[in-house]
Amino acid sequence: MPIIGQHIISLAGRDRQRTYTLAAWRIRKSLTILSVPISICITTRLKSPCSIYSGINGEADLMATVTNRADYWEKARESGFDLSWLDQLKQNTLGETTSEFSENNTGRVEGSIPRGDVPQFGAYTFRTKKDVWAHNLTKLYQEFVTRQWSSATDIPWETIEALPDDIEAAECQLATFFAQVEFVASDVPGRFISTMSPDYHEVRMVLIGQVMDESRHLDVFRKRALANGGGLMRMIDTVSDVVGGNTDNAREFTELSSRLHITGEGNVLTLFRLGELMAYNEAEKAIYRRCAQDEARHVAIGVLHLRYMNEFNPERREEIHSYLDEGESRQASGAGGENPAARNMLTSEALAVLLGGGKDKTDEGQKILMAIRQRQTKEYFQRLKSAGFDDRITNGRVNPALLELVNPA
Amino acid sequence: MSTSENPEEPTDQPADQEVEAVASAGPDPTPKRMAWMEDTLEWGVRTQPGKHGLTMRDINTGIYGDVPEESQDMSRRPRGAFPIPGVPRTDLYTLNHKVELWADNAADLYEEAIQRRWMAHIDIPWESLEPHSEEVELATRQLCTELAQQASIETDVIGQWLHHMNYAYHEVKTFLATELFDSGRHYAAFRQRALANGGGLGLESPGHMNRRILECRAGWTETALYLYILRGTLTLLLYRYGEAYAHNPAEKLLFRMCLQDKARHLAYGMAHLKYAVDEKGPDYALGLRRLMGGVERDLASEMKDPVLWEALAIIIGGGVEHMETGMAEVKNLQRRYIEEYLTRMKWIGVDKTADNLDQGLAAYLGKKESSPA
Repeated sequence: MPIIGQHIISLAGRDRQRTYTLAAWRIRKSLTILSVPISICITTRLKSPCSIYSGINGEADLMATVTNRADYWEKARESGFDLSWLDQLKQNTLGETTSEFSENNTGRVEGSIPRGDVPQFGAYTFRTKKDVWAHNLTKLYQEFVTRQWSSATDIPWETIEALPDDIEAAECQLATFFAQVEFVASDVPGRFISTMSPDYHEVRMVLIGQVMDESRHLDVFRKRALANGGGLMRMIDTVSDVVGGNTDNAREFTELSSRLHITGEGNVLTLFRLGELMAYNEAEKAIYRRCAQDEARHVAIGVLHLRYMNEFNPERREEIHSYLDEGESRQASGAGGENPAARNMLTSEALAVLLGGGKDKTDEGQKILMAIRQRQTKEYFQRLKSAGFDDRITNGRVNPALLELVNPA
Repeated sequence: MSTSENPEEPTDQPADQEVEAVASAGPDPTPKRMAWMEDTLEWGVRTQPGKHGLTMRDINTGIYGDVPEESQDMSRRPRGAFPIPGVPRTDLYTLNHKVELWADNAADLYEEAIQRRWMAHIDIPWESLEPHSEEVELATRQLCTELAQQASIETDVIGQWLHHMNYAYHEVKTFLATELFDSGRHYAAFRQRALANGGGLGLESPGHMNRRILECRAGWTETALYLYILRGTLTLLLYRYGEAYAHNPAEKLLFRMCLQDKARHLAYGMAHLKYAVDEKGPDYALGLRRLMGGVERDLASEMKDPVLWEALAIIIGGGVEHMETGMAEVKNLQRRYIEEYLTRMKWIGVDKTADNLDQGLAAYLGKKESSPA
């Protein structure tokens, strides 16, 4: 059907200023082209006085004129327009697969047409698919966009009522901790976004979503600390005693993702999921519930990435296990501030107060905290299984302190 | 916090002895049980939600609202939180002075960004997209490719500066997180539109301005000058024209929503630049003016590239046969761009006029084209 896409119908009357391809015009006016390619019979429900001119076979009864577009292009070129880019666009089609190696160093949109004279200013560190990729990220990004919320209006702040001083202090201490650590997961992914080839935009997009979420978490916990007669409390030391790599310092994406998404965010996710246990009003419940929803997406980034690595980069499995070694050590010890429920943490005291119901009931709180640690570990093991790294649970590599939590002697 | 990292360390203490174990630990900075309960710099803060909920501005009360002129705290200590001695640095932040990043409207813009969030895949009536004539469709793809790349570069720029900013200025950091998110959405939405009717994307940007913005190392303020005044002014105009000449409700709404976001980004950028110039004085303003000399030449060179302008001319005119008409309006857009650039520079306190403007850009001024558009 050579006509469609190459010729236009010009309309006189109310629609005269617009031209359409036959296909477009048919859709626009709900017309039906009954026979093609040459004899064009058109049924129309045009409301305005409208003449249709046609040059094809001189079908004067419908007065339809179809003009070859090439004439217009030629005239435009004669008038000084370039239009060579139009030819390039006509020939450009979008590939269906993401390239294994990105030669894109100019920040161009994946699938756009490269120009030869653009400086290679992108100089992206991450230009290999297998270093950053995960499946199903487009869907995950859409969830990031769909489930945004407002700390100002979506939290029922009016439900907060005065709490005993020890409970309020514990709540504020926990809020101070989260206000301090949550933006780590904004700063660091932000740095990675700018060093990752735009050809892997799906990865960049979910990291962008994470930056947004974490900034809201900083904000909502700061608000909680200042909403109910308390205030911000003691900062925590997130740097001392960290053995091995630090989340802040990670220069490699898989290392970052293993540590940040799987271990750090995973621990916090369990805690948020159990927020009902430490919340004293609907506002706090809403905060934990919504933050848990966000964190689940962040953890999903890591699980999906490790699953991809396991499947397509098995040669890096041992390296990934070493990241998990470090992460598990921190999960058990609390070093690096990655697990607020870990033993001997400032925040675990605050949690014990909240979970027990007061500073004189921390023994009860500690028992619940032990159950939370167990739940953290079980969920972590489940993530390992989902990503394909659960062999470490049975082959003796997993941190024994975690194994002990799940299978107490 | 001072426990060993040794994974072999036995951890079979009963839960009820855990807290006592903290107290007996050696160099633990929290040796006294529940000592943290006293550790606050200001207690008794009870902020109330207002008409717009509980906003970031609402909680900027007492010491918590005191924004320091300088912060040498290299940890992530939340502003107003109780400091502890001997904390190692987390990072070496390079933006530690208020004047280097601050804008009074950042907190409000942060809340506004969240209140006005939208979803390209749901809120845009994609079903109203109609196939254009072939050239208009190709031109639309070209425009959308350009806008997607501009948005993508913006995410790179913000991403690479965000972690340099000191935590004392969390209002700016959180606002920029929203801008990053907005830009990501713009990227996704324009790419989606470019591909919506089948076919592929257009040509990449010429790259001169992208390189300038991305490679800027002089400071966030200098980067902001490029990102907001030089690039943002053009992006805003492209959104405006995109909305005005949209061919269907989907495109109209897409451009309108992006316009709203971009106006917010420029509101921060303008406020910060004005603040920086006001605080740093005329010598700094003169420096910014000189800085723009070479950049303007690059811009003039980039503006000679016909691809974007011809695409716009086709969209505005409605086809190649009406390109002359469309191009007349494009020339108006170019003139407005340079005029607005000068106006914005003047507003922030930089003496940039037609007289000291690069001659290549000055050529766009003063030529108002007549067009039916």
